[in-house]
Amino acid sequence: MATVQVSEAEKVYIMHGVRDDLRVDGRGCEDYRHMEIETDVVSNTDGSAKVTLGHTAILVGIKAEIGKPRPMVADEGFLEFFVDCSANATPEFEGRGGDELGTELSNTLYKVFNNRNSIDLRTLCISPGEHCWVLYIDVLLLQCDGNLFDAISVAVKAALFNTRIPKVHISEDEEGGKEIELSDDPYDCMRLNVENVPCIVTLCKVGHRHVVDATLLEKACSEGGRGSLDPESIFEMTETGKRVGKALHAPLMEVLQKEESLGKKRQKVGFLG
Amino acid sequence: MAGLELLSDQGYRVDGRKPSELRKVQARMGVFAQADGSAYIEQGNTKALAVVYGPHEVRGSRSRTLHDRAVINCQYSMATFSTAERKRRPHGDRKSSEMSLHLKQTFEAAVLTQLYPRSQIDIYVKILQSDGGNYSACVNAATLAVIDAGIPMRDYVCACSAGFVEDTPLADLCHAEESGGGTSLALALLPRGGQIALLQMDARLHQDHLDTLIEAAMTACKGLSDVLDSVVRQHLQEVSVLTRDLGVCFSASPCISVRKPPALYLL
Amino acid sequence: MPVDTKRVRGPDESQSPLIFLPKSAQKVVPKEGREDGRQRGQTDVRPVFARCGLVSQAKGSAYIEAGNTKLMCSVYGPREIERKDETDMKSGRLFCDFRFAPFSCQKRGAWIQGSEEKDFSLALLESLRPGVCLHKYPRSQIEVNVMVLENDGSVLAHAVTCASLALADAGIEMYDLVLGCSLRQDGATYLIDPTFPEESGSCVADNAENQGSVTVALLPSLNQVSGLQSDGEMGEETLVDAVRACIEGCHKLYPVVQQALIKSVRRKAPPPEN
Repeated sequence: MATVQVSEAEKVYIMHGVRDDLRVDGRGCEDYRHMEIETDVVSNTDGSAKVTLGHTAILVGIKAEIGKPRPMVADEGFLEFFVDCSANATPEFEGRGGDELGTELSNTLYKVFNNRNSIDLRTLCISPGEHCWVLYIDVLLLQCDGNLFDAISVAVKAALFNTRIPKVHISEDEEGGKEIELSDDPYDCMRLNVENVPCIVTLCKVGHRHVVDATLLEKACSEGGRGSLDPESIFEMTETGKRVGKALHAPLMEVLQKEESLGKKRQKVGFLG
Repeated sequence: MAGLELLSDQGYRVDGRKPSELRKVQARMGVFAQADGSAYIEQGNTKALAVVYGPHEVRGSRSRTLHDRAVINCQYSMATFSTAERKRRPHGDRKSSEMSLHLKQTFEAAVLTQLYPRSQIDIYVKILQSDGGNYSACVNAATLAVIDAGIPMRDYVCACSAGFVEDTPLADLCHAEESGGGTSLALALLPRGGQIALLQMDARLHQDHLDTLIEAAMTACKGLSDVLDSVVRQHLQEVSVLTRDLGVCFSASPCISVRKPPALYLL
Repeated sequence: MPVDTKRVRGPDESQSPLIFLPKSAQKVVPKEGREDGRQRGQTDVRPVFARCGLVSQAKGSAYIEAGNTKLMCSVYGPREIERKDETDMKSGRLFCDFRFAPFSCQKRGAWIQGSEEKDFSLALLESLRPGVCLHKYPRSQIEVNVMVLENDGSVLAHAVTCASLALADAGIEMYDLVLGCSLRQDGATYLIDPTFPEESGSCVADNAENQGSVTVALLPSLNQVSGLQSDGEMGEETLVDAVRACIEGCHKLYPVVQQALIKSVRRKAPPPEN
């Protein structure tokens, strides 16, 4: 994360621009930067996606493992989030430097994605109280250029869309012992319904208006993302967030479907493009 | 040999390569805009990403500052999803610390550190997918990233692993061959001078075979250096087409220095 | 890591026997009304007891009790910043540490800070920071430590209130007090200042829309919201109404907190006898 310092004159310039719905990079207040999505980039995961938003680059890998369901909810599988703020993104993250941000991000992701309507966790159950699928969702920050939350949520959604969980068969022997058999056919797998998986929309109040997908410079203009808001602007911002979120979902699903339909013909780009 | 036959009677390896054949190498420089230098490499299914920051002022404690040369700071980490079994911690375990140290030693031998006294160069390498030869992929990626950052080096550093099976040296081991239990050797070479920057070997090997094994690894490294060279040249060509006026100098000495014109950052 | 070797510790993996209770024996939160006699859909927060200055060694401290939720907070500082490389010449730094006492929840917790506690610490920090005049304390740090003694719901909200009370008691300059209030949305109706069973939601009607909880931190005299957290799923209208209800709830706390502060000032500087 390049540290950004903003001078008073620059601040005024950016704020006036935002007031007139024209931001420094030519976007309107509710526009995202150019976003690139590619799924299935890491072949030894069950699902993966790479998302770049401006200079922000995120790689998400999902691995499904068989675990024991939580005793409170015996008939559901669960998700585990881990965010690796690697030193690649910024030297400040070296050693344990990124741990704090990593916990903050993974806690938020857990709250956002672990809702009843987002993924049906019951589909992850293999046998109630004994076995279930645990989805380890590992997020890797490769480069930070603002708006991590939105980029990560899009990447997680894309990776979940790409996730293929092998089908399992439970066989019971005479003594009542259960055995799990993994399907031999690698194409015999379960997909997740990601229609309702949420995307995060972060809004940033700059001056009297709020902007979507703030760059680091814009964020620096709004008290660095901290501070307080009056209730009315919160309500306005939730409304904008909802509208922008809806406008983000539809094309995202479309792009994912389109990529999927290319099948094996698709040329994998990854980091080589 | 543990069950798996690493070398068939016809002389082919598990993935169909000949003993001295390398895996397919694909690489790209300048992957990220914010870092001073970055590169991505794929060697077969092993994928590594290297990022270089610096040379800059020494961060953290001043006591690390060296007055006659730059400090090289390396961190090696593996993505939690890079291995078949999920890893719990991306870095900080003993194996990663050891690998970081090896990388540091390798690049201290190759980078012209005396040109940047009292400064620090950060090299961060991440394995995105691991299929054997992690060290060599890291070194090769880091070499490209250092060149991308415009930091002068004595020469490319190329690394390759080699193993020894049934009296035949195998170059560029994949995961199946590496975990087969046989001898494996990792070697980092400065190919023009034929100098070895790092040599590491584990498991037992008869002294008589050592020379042939090192020879095989060195040949593989030289092969890799040709690939890296073509990647660098191609990258420069692309950049020069984009910028027209080109700030590249291949000086008479084997030192390579690529200065990025500032306009490049805007791309 | 403070691991008490003398304590007889339970096995690594242990579960509270409460979760093995048959469904019928579990306490069910009534669908209508609330167990403690409050009404659904009304902003009747639990009666609050608040007092300042109970930790004599801290610069300022406060204790707050709302129903069975009990927590205390102590404030240390301003003092010189410990990590020299983080010194900020222009403004001070606020540190928040939120912890559950191991015995405070239904399930015994560990002494080391878990991820939920870290999350609460951060939320607390972000809610308090806009209320504190940090620019008056350059190059110094102020530490806020919150310990939950008993968790019976809405801990974060009460932690915010308690911490701002302790900051005021410590004589730290503030723009305004920060008050917290939380709410549990249950379909069309809501439960303000929920108790733990109401909050954890095993109770409420399944498969209903608009299930979630909202926590708001408010600077009451400036009418600014400094913190807002919302979990679960709810419609935009519902969320807006929920935030409004929380703000109303905060205002109900205000006189109690003011009284507690006046009392603490009186004790520190007693008015002249005659």
